Parts: sequence; structure tokens; C-alpha cells
Amino acid sequence: MLLTEGDLKAILEAALAGGGDFAEIFLERRRTTSISCEDNKIERVVSGLDQGAGIRVITGENTAYGYSNDLDRESLIQTATLVGKALPGRPRPKEISFNRPRAQVEFTIQKRPDQVPVTEKVALVQKANAAARAVDKRITQVTVGYGDVIQEVTIANSDGVLVEDERVRCRFVVNAVATDGKVIQTGFESAGGHQGWEIFASVDPEEKARQAARRAVMMLEARPAPAGKMPVVMAGEAGGTMIHEACGHGLEADLVQKQLSVYAGKKGQKVASELITVIDDPTIPGKYGSYRYDDEGTPGQETVLIENGVLKEYMYDYLAARKENRRSTGNGRRESYQDRPIPRMTNTYIAPGKDDPGAILRETKHGLLVKRMGGGQVNTINGDFVFDVAEGYLIQNGKIGPAVRGATLTGNGPEVLKIIDRVGNDLGFSLGTCGKDGQGVPVGDAQPTMRIPEMVVGGILDEGDQD
Amino acid sequence: MDYQALQNQYLDLAARVVEMAAGKGAVAEAYINAGESLNIEVRNQEVEALTTARDRGLGLRVIAGQRVGFAYTTDFSPGALELCVEQALANARMATPDEYNCLPARYPGYPQLDLFDPEITNTPVEQKIELVREIERQARAYDPRVKITESCSYNDSRYLVVLVNSRGIAVASQAAYCGASTFVVAVENEESQTGFGLAYGLRYKNIDPARIGREGASRAVRMLGAKRVNTQRAAVVFDPYVATSFLGVIAPALAADAVQKGKSLFRGRVGQQVAAPVVNIIDDGCRPDGIASSPFDGEGVPTQHTVLVEKGILKCYLHNTYTAARDGVKSTGNGARGSFKTTPEVGTTNFYIEAGTRTPEDIIKEIPRGLYVTEVMGMHTANPISGDFSVGASGLWIENGELARPVRGVAIAGNIIGLLEGIDAVGNDLTFFGATGAPTVRITGMTISG
Repeated sequence: MLLTEGDLKAILEAALAGGGDFAEIFLERRRTTSISCEDNKIERVVSGLDQGAGIRVITGENTAYGYSNDLDRESLIQTATLVGKALPGRPRPKEISFNRPRAQVEFTIQKRPDQVPVTEKVALVQKANAAARAVDKRITQVTVGYGDVIQEVTIANSDGVLVEDERVRCRFVVNAVATDGKVIQTGFESAGGHQGWEIFASVDPEEKARQAARRAVMMLEARPAPAGKMPVVMAGEAGGTMIHEACGHGLEADLVQKQLSVYAGKKGQKVASELITVIDDPTIPGKYGSYRYDDEGTPGQETVLIENGVLKEYMYDYLAARKENRRSTGNGRRESYQDRPIPRMTNTYIAPGKDDPGAILRETKHGLLVKRMGGGQVNTINGDFVFDVAEGYLIQNGKIGPAVRGATLTGNGPEVLKIIDRVGNDLGFSLGTCGKDGQGVPVGDAQPTMRIPEMVVGGILDEGDQD
Repeated sequence: MDYQALQNQYLDLAARVVEMAAGKGAVAEAYINAGESLNIEVRNQEVEALTTARDRGLGLRVIAGQRVGFAYTTDFSPGALELCVEQALANARMATPDEYNCLPARYPGYPQLDLFDPEITNTPVEQKIELVREIERQARAYDPRVKITESCSYNDSRYLVVLVNSRGIAVASQAAYCGASTFVVAVENEESQTGFGLAYGLRYKNIDPARIGREGASRAVRMLGAKRVNTQRAAVVFDPYVATSFLGVIAPALAADAVQKGKSLFRGRVGQQVAAPVVNIIDDGCRPDGIASSPFDGEGVPTQHTVLVEKGILKCYLHNTYTAARDGVKSTGNGARGSFKTTPEVGTTNFYIEAGTRTPEDIIKEIPRGLYVTEVMGMHTANPISGDFSVGASGLWIENGELARPVRGVAIAGNIIGLLEGIDAVGNDLTFFGATGAPTVRITGMTISG
């Protein structure tokens, strides 16, 4: 960064001159590369630089925020002064002395993506495209995307926190389209993490591409999902969307404090089956939601949210923690310098249990097996949530039956968590971009194989078929 | 900021960048977006957050040897711009040549639009804060059970768009928009339900705090006591908000690039019936007071009024310069940019289902048994390629033509084509939610899972 510690102090002092209690600057320099292949063509190769600074001043419980792309000392002092004046208070001179908090974990990036020639990235995308197309002649379109981000941040605040960090992420997505003349279906796979190019040593893009293509083809023959209540087995490999929606969002402290969560005021109470332990942990190396420091400079940490069914902790950022006179859990995140940090999930998962995943399926007479989840959404106020089933099968006498398509599962978070009766000893991760208040951040989710005795499957009822 | 000066400065800068790229043998186009924005959030009558911002960015597209390259930057220093040019050219070398890659040439004229309401920038911040407080007061006053404010906010933005290409286009446009919204929670016994109200547009005076606040409150209060219904097939009515959400899934399938790539439900169906005869679907980039209105699209092509579906018959697709060249037609002015960071793809502008003639009450009155859907959850999981959707739904149960009781936790599922064909009534209450809008629509029968 171009700014010295002296510059950062001068900016924070200017921000506090209007009478704020707390001031912070978040400087960001984000370089990205993205490649997309569609129609057998490398259509887009894009590289870019987005840099800017966000300045925040907190007075009592109120926040003033401002951002700009001008990063020289004078412009930043000007922005800071304006932000500081937005919510006036009584100025109190404050001596700022910086210290650098220690992260709980160090991540090593073995091969930075900016050290990898673009030709190599293009070749990877092309190979994946060819692999997907080779699966079946009914594959009529394949879209492959690759993206990497190198995000350098400097975070400094008037409490003396100073953090400089670099986050490196790579992501790979493939979307295959299959057509049989009448029906069009799609299959999607993705991989990504807080990792450099070495991610492709453990993730085979061609295999991912084949998986996506096979799913698209299989869905051509799938029947519409049934409609109504039934037992649901979620495979470990299905991903973690359900836990993210069913309870993750409701455990974010800002929503809890504003009484916008069904989990408000329930700390210490039993909110789930004893089989359920939920953990949020950005310190797991290499996952999509991993980081050393959050976007307020607080070191990332493992937080046990629910332990054996009992609610233990919420996820806090600086402001929510300040309201309760406690410490942040290191969950203060923001999409970019243009956004105020808010409490967010990182890598959130249900801890593995004791059951054999195969036995869970065998001991379920009938119902729906969810092999892969898509996106989801929750209304945190009443706990109702939905998630999309990207790959699902009917369960017939404890065995995997025919594939079904177009199902969404609907449930209520607290109700579903209480009735989960089987938890497997496996754990499968998925990744995604989580949206809240218009901000998208990378997250990882995971859960073991589980059985929910009753959920609503949003399928299609044949004409005349009523229950 | 002095926008006139900035406009001239950025027209020069864009021209310089285009020249740099053209000097290296490429056809080039520079797009600059710059502006200021304000966001005010109020809770319990206090300003919880106030954000002021300035931002800018430049996106450069080059075509060399029929290959497209793109790069962007927010750093306008000479060194950074030079790097941006180098990167765009290097990126082009990696891309596959395509004979249809081209940039539009100069146009004789553009639609004259009034996109800047000085009242948006002239109104003092204090007055805007007062407007947000009034929304919250109105929501609370509507019913004592409205007890929690999830959010109550106002935002506005003034911006400048500059576009210069090496084929003679050099255009600029200044605009501003503003809007306010609230999400409130009604609480009774152990139960909480949310409702929202919002208004966005190009005119400050059109933001009516009383209407926004009361609408949010009424949507929340009427959901108290909501329960599931049994799985069944019944008539379904979408309120304008829900109908608009569905329109968001239809939009990508009407883009010519999706059609050309075999990813559209509407492929090969121009001239055919794709929806019930009561349905007309329009995209209008120059609609007066449309929040997405602009004299030119993201490639400098004039915007226009495009009828996509007329009396249920598919008339055409949306095009940008590339897809138009590939199909041998004219661009419809739908070269849309998400921001300066992205290439202009095919996208909608002001996109809506045209209003019908019947009142929503009239449409509901004819239903013996059905669901009036006021909210859907998981709409982003609907598949715009296959058209399959299955979403969580809540709303009000219709019994003998009356809204009888609230319903939540159910799901509705189907396919977009079946949905469009199944529409049997369209209301006269076209309402925009940002750039997309729809009236109330009724579908003869759908599966409701409960």
C-alpha cells in the first residue's frame, strides 16, 4: 500500500474530528482474471483492477460510511472529514497507536494465479469444455468459467488495529445443457477455494465437467418431483445449503439483536436435536469461505454455534459485539470497499455424527434422496426456508429409485433441526456466494448425510391426484 | 462534482484510451461510469447508517483479428490506463476469433429523454432523512402489531455514462434515480411476519412515504396466523410483485444469445403462441420515468420500445450488436452492462408485462378456491434454461372469491411455458419494482404442495 502508518493515523484522526467514537479505514486493491468458454469458443477473457477505500465512523450505535476510488492521502483525509461530519458528536481527542493482531492460522498459497500464464488457464477451460461435450451427444451446450481474485486489504481503526492481508481465491464452474428435442435440462458443478492454482491438483476440472454433463443428461429422463410431505435423506455429498439457510443466517448477531431471528433470546436453550452440532470456521485451510482476518481486522476463529442441540453462540462483527460490550467472533465481512461490514457466515457445517450413511438410506422405506443441493433462501423472521434440489431420487424400499427433477424443499428451520433423527459420519463441502443486504461474499457449507422425517417437497401433482 | 466538466474530461479520456488501443491495430470502445450516491437507513426514528459515495471506472473492449479482449480499471492514472490497454489487447489474443464480433458505427440520433430530476440532488439530506422517518412512522401507525423495523431506507444516485468507440460513436448521458423501501415486522403472540413497501423512480416527488409505510405494514399484518394448506391443484393469482419475480426468469430466455446457443425455451418459436392471448411482454429502453431508461445502450446503440410477446405470440428476441450481426438483424439496443467491469451482453432495460383491463378484485372474485401469492422464496433457483421452477410461496387463501386467510410454507412448481400458457387474466395494475414490472396475473391451475 502507498500509505504509511502516519497517513493512516491522519485519516482516522480526520474521521474522528466530527465527534465519532470509532473510525476505520478499509483499503482494497482487487485484481481479477476471468475466462469464459461457451459455444466451443473462448468468448471472454477479462482482467481488471478495482481499488478503493471505505471509511467508517461509529457514534453510539450509528454509522456513517463513505467510499471513493481516490487513494492519495489528501483525498482520503477529505473523504474521512466528510464521513466524520455526517453524524455529529462531541470531539474527544484520541491517541491512536497501532498494533497488529496475530492471526490464528497461516495459509500458504503455493502457486499464485498471477504467476500462471493465461494460456494455461485457457487450456484448462478448453479441456473441461471438451470433457463435458464428450459425455453424450445430447449435450448441446457447455459453459465453462474460470476466475481468480487477488484481494489486498489494509484495515486500520482508531482502536489501534492494523492488518494487512492478501486473499487469493480461484473458482471454476461448469454448466452443461442437454436437449432431447423436447426437453432442455442442465447440470452444474463448481469448485473453488482460498487457494492458488494448486487447487487443480486436488480438483480435476475435466471430471467436474463430466459430472455436470452426466447430471444434465440424466435429468432429461427424470420425472417431475412428487408433491407433498415425505421423509428426506440428504446425502453428505449434497452440500451444505440447508444448514446455511435453516439456521446459519438466523445466528447472525445483527439479526438476533434486531429481533429479526427465530433464534433471538435462545442462547443456552435446546434449539435442535441432540445429534446436531453446528460450527462456523474460517480457519479451515483452502475452503471458499476461509480467511485469516475478517474485513474488520479481527482474526478468524472457530465458533461452535450449536452444540448437541443447545444454542451456544451467535456470529458477531465489531458493531454487534460493541452493542453487547463483548468481543467480535471475527465474522465481520463485506463484499468490497463499497460496503459496510456485517456479521456473515464463513465455512459453516453440521459436525459429523455416528451413523453409517448407507444404513441411513437402507433404513428409510420411502421418501426423497437429495444427492445435490442448489441454492436456497430463508426468511429469518419466521424461520421458513427453501432450497433447490439439483439432483434427487425417489427412495423405494431403502434403495435409490428413479431420478426426479424440479423439486424445492420447504421447511421451517427450528422445526427441521428438532426432528432430524439420523446423522452420518461423513461430511461433504459445497461452495457458494451468499447474499445478504445486497452484499455477496464467498462461503463454504458442509453437512453429513442426514435424515429429516418430514419435509414439504414442492413438486407436481398429476391432474385429479389429491391428498 | 461539476458533471458538465467531468463529462468533457471523461469524453477526452475515453477518446485517448480508444486511440491508444486503435494505434495498436484494434477496434476499441471505452465505457466510463462515474457518479455519486447516498444511502440513508433509519431504525426506530434514528439514522442507523448514512453512506455517501463517489465512484468511477472504465471498461475497455477491443477487437483485434475478430477476437474480443476486455479489461477494466478504477485507476485513471496514465500508467494504469496504459496497463488496461495492454491487458485488453493481450486478452484478445487468448480469445477465439468470431466473424460476428464488431462494434456499432455512429448513429444519426438518439431518443430525447429527461433523466435528470434536479430535485433529487437539490433536496437537503435532512429532508431525505425526514422522509425515511415518515415511512417508519406510517408503518407503525398503521397497526399496533407492527413493532419491528427490519429496514427503512432511502437511496439516490446521480451518474454519468460516457461511451467512445473507434467507429465514430462519442456519447454521454447524465441521469439520476431515487427510491425508498421498508421491511417491517408484525408481531402477535409468538409469531412474527414481514412485509415490504417500496418505490423507485426518476422523480423525487413520486416517492410517497405514506404509501410505502402503509403497504409494508399491511403486507406484514395480513400474514399473521398463516398456516399451510394441503397439497392440491388450484387456481393461483400472482400479485404484481410475484409476477415480476417470474418475469426475471423469463428475461434470459428472450435474449438472442441464449437462443443462438441453444439455451432458450423460446428457440425457434418466433411467430408461435408461447403464452395465453392475454399476455403482452415489452422491453422499453426509452420509457419515460423508467429507471433503466437511457438514450443509448452499453454499446452506444439507441434504445427502443420492443414488443417481444404480442397477444401471446412471440415476435422477436432482444439483441446486442453481436447477436444482431449473427442473426442478420438490427440490434434492439439491448447491449446491457452490469457495470464498467463487464462486457455488454444481451440484457433487458425496462421490462414488463403490459397492463390488462380488469381490476385485481375482479380477477379474484371469480375464484371458488385458490391461492393469492404475495411472496415467493428461492426464485433464484428457478432454471431459466429448462424453465423448471419450484419455489416456496406464501400469501392468502381465496375462498368463494374472497381473500379468506393467510397461508405460508407451501411450494408451487411447474414450467415457465406452462405458466405463460395457463394465464387466463391480466390485471390493470402494472407496477414496477425497479426496472421490471407486471400487473396481477391469474393462472388457471397449479400444484400447491403443503
